[in-house]
Amino acid sequence: MNNNSVLKRLVSNPDFSRLLILILMFTLTAVLQRNFFAMKSIVRNINSFTPLILLTMGQAVVILSGGLDLSVGTALSLMTCVLTSVMKEGVPITGFFALAVAFAVAMAIGAVNGFGIGYLRIPPVIVTFATSFIWLGIALFLRPTPGGETVDWFQAFYKIRNIETAPAFLKAFGEIIPPALILVLLGCVLWWVISRTKTGRYIYAVGSNSQSAYETGINTAWVQMRACMINSVFILLAALFFVGQNRSGDARMGDPLTLKAIAAAVVGGIALTGGRGSVYFALIGALIFSFVSKIIFFANIPNAFQTLFGGVIVIVAIAGSQVYTLSSRRAMEESKLT
Amino acid sequence: MSVVGSFRDSTAYKVVDRYKKLIIAFLLIGFLFVLGEIVVETFLTVGQILLTIKLASFIALFGLCQMVVIASGGSGLDLSVGYTATITAVFTAAIMDGQNANLWMAILVAIGLGIAIGLMNGVLTAYFKLPPLVVTLAMANILQGVINVYTAGKNITGRPSPVLQIIAAKSSGMFPNILFILLIITPIVMIIMYKTKWGLKLFGSGSNETAAYLSGVNVKMVRCTAFIISGTLASLLGLLLLGNMGIAFKDMGSNYVMPSIAAAVVGGVSLTGGDGNYLGVILGAIFLQTLTNLLVALGWGDAGKWTGFGIVLFVLLILYVSNRRKR
Repeated sequence: MNNNSVLKRLVSNPDFSRLLILILMFTLTAVLQRNFFAMKSIVRNINSFTPLILLTMGQAVVILSGGLDLSVGTALSLMTCVLTSVMKEGVPITGFFALAVAFAVAMAIGAVNGFGIGYLRIPPVIVTFATSFIWLGIALFLRPTPGGETVDWFQAFYKIRNIETAPAFLKAFGEIIPPALILVLLGCVLWWVISRTKTGRYIYAVGSNSQSAYETGINTAWVQMRACMINSVFILLAALFFVGQNRSGDARMGDPLTLKAIAAAVVGGIALTGGRGSVYFALIGALIFSFVSKIIFFANIPNAFQTLFGGVIVIVAIAGSQVYTLSSRRAMEESKLT
Repeated sequence: MSVVGSFRDSTAYKVVDRYKKLIIAFLLIGFLFVLGEIVVETFLTVGQILLTIKLASFIALFGLCQMVVIASGGSGLDLSVGYTATITAVFTAAIMDGQNANLWMAILVAIGLGIAIGLMNGVLTAYFKLPPLVVTLAMANILQGVINVYTAGKNITGRPSPVLQIIAAKSSGMFPNILFILLIITPIVMIIMYKTKWGLKLFGSGSNETAAYLSGVNVKMVRCTAFIISGTLASLLGLLLLGNMGIAFKDMGSNYVMPSIAAAVVGGVSLTGGDGNYLGVILGAIFLQTLTNLLVALGWGDAGKWTGFGIVLFVLLILYVSNRRKR
């Protein structure tokens, strides 16, 4: 084995080139954004990337299990509406009630999606397309227009400094490590734990070959349902962040994030056919996606172009990853043959 | 046992079995009308029914786009129909500017736009093997973006030509004119889908891809064509929507996407492809419009409408599409 082939293998390894792209995008953004390394802009970047990162990781779990969730955006909106409907301003205890109710709602959302995907075996895209309208409708019942009340301490999910009653050391801590980062780390830890249990391995098994997983005695339906529930937890984390940030609920706010989360997962190397990819690389995909959006933003493109470029990026990203994955697999096979 | 067996062989059973889903759709509509009449007074009047049919015609026509794409298989669905219609309406409003003479130009532009959008969807899904829902959702985003760019800093100008308004919005006597369009299109669709070679290829690609391929059907081409037809139809529907509303606005078509898919499912179009009856889609559209009317009459508005549509679609998916493992 000579050097040349090692290099060739490294380049044709998709994960390696994804890291390269991330570094490239990171550098480009650092060059374009003034004060990129200032504490303030780092925190601002983390805050603006967090929702997509969380949703992408959740979506990745569902895709790995052989599903796909088109209801992520409206589920997120619904959770923000539930949170802000249960909370009463100035009554701190209602915040805990809201957390409990929102968690129950999240589990219910995951259970319904998982029931359709796993137990009923309806094509995932279509069943979650249907449920996305149920979530939207319920969210509109709760909040026909954006608004709602939040308790003061809920800002702990966004900026601890904004809470007047918080002790000084917590405020200082929040300045160094923003709550958004903690939410992302929480998501990573959650997946780290799950991926070390049976559930984690079953998710891959069911996603890559549902039939043989079933035949080896895995309860595939229950595994897919659990994957949807894990996704719901990630969505809930994003909802907490949004409510902390905006202090209101909005039945329409999550819509654009659905597609971005899918695209970011694909950029991160999650195969839409299921069973292949890594949730951590989905995180990297979300980062790449966010940096690209950021770069487009710095290129001084008018606001009106944002939606257009969002859609184009998604198509290019998905088509590009597909072509790249296919061609690199072919290259790998050829290098094995020779 | 033999009694059941002989019943299963009888012609009546076969007819019922074949049109099972149509009958269910019909019963659902009847149920809603009765329910509406009980809950809301003056629900079941001639005027109300004709209005329902007029509004349902648009859903049914969008449903045709979905049906063609779904029938071609590959778990196809077209989520970009709403914005395809919108972008055509926005562009052609300026072209027509209220003049009948400009209608031909507008129709040409509509067809051109529809083919271009459908071709992109088709190539990406059929040849690049990307999931249709994701591709068409992204396409919807792109079209919405184009509309945003086009309308940035200025108003959408122009009006539809009078002929278009007569076709889409006015009535002859008591019957809405759009109903006649539907009555003309339905037999044409039925003939193309069930009596021509191309229809056979379409359903063949949907029901068994491998068999169709081995018997010489270019499955990719058929699927791509299905998307082109869907795009073109949606684009022409944009003209009708424009005629109905009188002006173009930013998201005039987006509310039709979900109902069009739901109408296809209610109407018994198999989502795995290869099967479907356009009459069912029309019944499905009428059902959804009646449901909307009922929910609006009850004062539940948008929230009730979307929840209702979501639940109806979910329940029918369970009944029609569910593929539980046999134990």
